[in-house]
Amino acid sequence: MNDAPRDTRPRAHLERASDAAGDVLRLTGSWRLAGLETIDAELRALQLPARLTVDASQLAELDSAAALALLTRLPPGVQWRGLAANDTRIIEQVRSRIEGVPNLPPHRRESVLEAIGHRANGIARMGHGHLAFLGAAVLGIVGTILRPRRLRVRELSAQFEQVCLNAIPVVALVTLLIGVVVTYLLGLQAKQYGANIFVVDGIGIGATREFAPIIVAIIVAGRSGAAFTAQLGSMRMTEETDAIQTLGLSPLDVLVLPRVIALMVAMPLLVFIGDVMSLAGGMLIAEPMLDITPQTFLERLRDALDISHVYVGLSKAPVFALAIAVIGCHMGMTVERDTRAVGMATTSTVVQSIVSVILLDAAFAIFYQELGI
Amino acid sequence: MARDDVVIEVDRVVTRFGAQAVHDGVSFTVRRGTLVALIGGSGTGKSVLLREIIGLQRPTEGRIRLLGTDMWSSPPDALNAVRRRFGMMFQDGALFSSLTVAQNVAVPLIEHASVPPSLLEPLIRLRLAQAGLGPDAAGKMPSELSGGMRKRAAIARALALEPEVLFLDEPTSGLDPTTARGFDALVRSLVDDLGITVFLVTHDLDTLLTVVDRIIVLARGAVLADGTMREILAVDDPWIRSYFSVRATVNS
Repeated sequence: MNDAPRDTRPRAHLERASDAAGDVLRLTGSWRLAGLETIDAELRALQLPARLTVDASQLAELDSAAALALLTRLPPGVQWRGLAANDTRIIEQVRSRIEGVPNLPPHRRESVLEAIGHRANGIARMGHGHLAFLGAAVLGIVGTILRPRRLRVRELSAQFEQVCLNAIPVVALVTLLIGVVVTYLLGLQAKQYGANIFVVDGIGIGATREFAPIIVAIIVAGRSGAAFTAQLGSMRMTEETDAIQTLGLSPLDVLVLPRVIALMVAMPLLVFIGDVMSLAGGMLIAEPMLDITPQTFLERLRDALDISHVYVGLSKAPVFALAIAVIGCHMGMTVERDTRAVGMATTSTVVQSIVSVILLDAAFAIFYQELGI
Repeated sequence: MARDDVVIEVDRVVTRFGAQAVHDGVSFTVRRGTLVALIGGSGTGKSVLLREIIGLQRPTEGRIRLLGTDMWSSPPDALNAVRRRFGMMFQDGALFSSLTVAQNVAVPLIEHASVPPSLLEPLIRLRLAQAGLGPDAAGKMPSELSGGMRKRAAIARALALEPEVLFLDEPTSGLDPTTARGFDALVRSLVDDLGITVFLVTHDLDTLLTVVDRIIVLARGAVLADGTMREILAVDDPWIRSYFSVRATVNS
């Protein structure tokens, strides 16, 4: 059925006998890795005397795995006879390769406590690294403002296209749908009290102040933060970053600053799009569900939504962007040079970016609360 | 017997990428137990041919038989059976980066061979030793290895299932001469001691001069010359002359 010729080979077999030479073990058939399980079982089932002759004259084939089984299971100092020349070479090769070689060191697993310590240390180091990198990035930005010619305009515009223009469709779609869903949920409650019109207040303030910035930041973290790490990480693997350095250029100027600045400019724009789209989403569902016409919606919005809420939301955007870009670039610039590390760093970037965005948002909430805005 | 004796059969293979023809009727055979090298200038499709032989890339036309199995018209079962009978070492090793060296070698053993647990560790140790690696390399991750060790670990993994044919893509590239010569000796011993057929792509003249049985020269889309070193040197072709003249300059 199967056309693999190995299946038609005679099975490995051994027989005990005794003749003039004493105890004899006769090997027949094809001794190969494929039959190793049976070979090993048969060898181990034997009670072998120390003085033994192995007769290999009927042996059809021998490979090094089977030779290993023979050498490990048979007592040392057996006599071989009838061994073909090439089989002798295989046995000699295996013997020379395993003699005097110590066992493999056992695979060491670290204990739970050790693992916790390692991870905690790793996180602390990484946090420290992020802060140092943040400092370098901010200094770089200040330097760029003081000396605008340092800015690499072509790289900046390419990055801006990537992180802003290409992100518009997904940002618009997601925030539109979130606007619909949030308005719908608010509407379900408001309807019970006949407070339909206050849904506009809710979606207006909620969207512009809180969730448009957060949703956009999460999308950007997954899209651009991950991309930064993957791009810079693979550039490190191919030694492109080293090439930049040896050409007398600064990787910070060439690679990092364009990304950081592009993202910091892009985020407020994306958040603004998010504001508009989530309000549009609210407006879409308000009419069929709550009988609020678009005109009423807009009029109510003008009365209820103080412009300061929009400014608060927009003011968070560049800070979120800075955090995401710094984490993304730093993870990429410090990744170890192997493929697995790039994948892990990319995942880590997304997680860290989202967590830091949420933490920053909480800090903003307290900050603006204290300021009374 | 004669049929079983031929391990690799490449028959009038044509490969085109768009309008560009890389191979235009390449044919050769490789016999069991020999060490054969494929050489040719850059862009002559050596690596492409290698990938076609092991079933990774489909040739535009022509037939390829490996261990008696047609690599491009056989059912999946037959292809899987044949995949267990050859090993391949990729140029940079292509080790699984999330596994240690020992685990890399264990993958084919665990997946495709029913090795008794008590023999698994000795067998891994044997494979590492056959590839010239000590047991201290076993616990290392691929990223911790030097280029030469990575290639050795890749050979150990390729040898795991005791293949009948071993394919090597530029085994000595990027190695220092001493390590490279050690590698040559290792490959030769696989052929002589274990009876494995080795087919390699190389640019290393020392490998060609010292350990290879037969050389196949690929040029202008076809086999330009095929034979022992002496026979190749007798071929009157400008490319072959310039290829080997580098060597003559060093010697003089």
